[in-house]
Amino acid sequence: MSTASNDPSTLTRLHHREEVMGTVVTFDVYNQGGISPEEFLPFLQEAVAVLHHADKVFSTWKSNSPLSQLRRGEISLGEAPPEVAEVLELCALAKSQTNGWFDPWALPGGVDPTGYVKGWSAQLSLACLVNAPVTGAIINAAGDIASFGGLDPATPFRVGITDPLASPALSCAMELRGAVATSGINERGEHLVNPFTGEASTRVASASVTGPDLGRCDAWATALAVGGDEVLGLVERTSGYEALVIGADGLRQWTSHFPLIELEVSN
Amino acid sequence: MAAKKVTSVGIASLSGGGNYRSQQIAQAAIPILEQEATQAQNANIQSVSGTSYTSAGFQLLLRDVLKKVGIK
Repeated sequence: MSTASNDPSTLTRLHHREEVMGTVVTFDVYNQGGISPEEFLPFLQEAVAVLHHADKVFSTWKSNSPLSQLRRGEISLGEAPPEVAEVLELCALAKSQTNGWFDPWALPGGVDPTGYVKGWSAQLSLACLVNAPVTGAIINAAGDIASFGGLDPATPFRVGITDPLASPALSCAMELRGAVATSGINERGEHLVNPFTGEASTRVASASVTGPDLGRCDAWATALAVGGDEVLGLVERTSGYEALVIGADGLRQWTSHFPLIELEVSN
Repeated sequence: MAAKKVTSVGIASLSGGGNYRSQQIAQAAIPILEQEATQAQNANIQSVSGTSYTSAGFQLLLRDVLKKVGIK
C-alpha cells in the first residue's frame, strides 16, 4: 500500500483514535504533499502517553489514583505528584476569573478537577506534536478540541458545533484557531450543576468557548453553561477568548469576535 | 480547499523490533486511516465540538455529521 504522495496539491491526513479517560480521543494531522505514518508514529506515541499518564494521576474512577487518594484524605497534596497541585492551582485561577461559576470544589465527593484535566492534558498532548512534520494537528477529546496550524499555512481548520437540542445535527461551524470546548446538556439529557445553588442549570443548552488553551476554554465553557449572560460578559472582556451560547429556547448569542460560520446542510 | 484532494493512507509495514506499545498504536491506527480520510473532504469541516460524549456516542456523531455538512 502506498503512503505519501509528492503532489503538492494533495492534502494528506493521518487519523488515530485512542481509548483513554473513559472516552475516545481522536488525533488528526494534516500535511501538504504527504506525510509518512512511520515518521509520525514517535510523536503520536509521546502524545498518547501524556493522556494515559494524566488518566492514571487524575482518574476519579480508579480508586488507587493519586487524585482519588487525595479526595479520600489518604495522602496530602504534597505527597501527590506535582501536577495535581499544578492543576488545582489552574482551577483556582479559573474559579476566580469566572467569578466562581467554574468551581471544582463545589462538586459532591470532594474537589473534582476532571472538567479541567481533560482539556489541560489534551493541550499538553498537542505540545508533543508541534515538531512533527505536519501543517496542522487536531486533538479532539470527546468534543473538546486542541489544535495548531491548519490544512495548510493559509487555511485554518473549520469545526462544527453540535446542536444540543437536535444532536447529532450541527448548529453551526467555526474557524478554529487554537482550542474550543463545549459544555452543556450531555447526550443523556443531563444538565450541569449551578455551583451557587447546587441545582441543575437549565437556561443554557450549550456553551462553546474558543481560545489559545483548552484547559481554560473548558473551564470557561462550564462556567458559561451554568452562568449564562453574566459569564458571556466576562468572556467578552477576556483577551483571546470568544464564546457562543445556545439557549434552551434554541436562540444563539455570541461574543463580538466569535469566528462563526453558518452551515448549509445538504440533506 | 475544493481543489485539494484528501488521500487515504496506510502503513505498508512497521519496522520489526518495535516495542509492544508502538505496534499496538499502529495496529489501532491502520483501519481508521483508510476509513475516514475521504469523509473530511466531503464535509469541509475537520472535526466537531459538542458537550461531553461517551466513546460510542462521539464516534457515531463524527461519522454521521461529517458526511452531511456543507459550508455556505
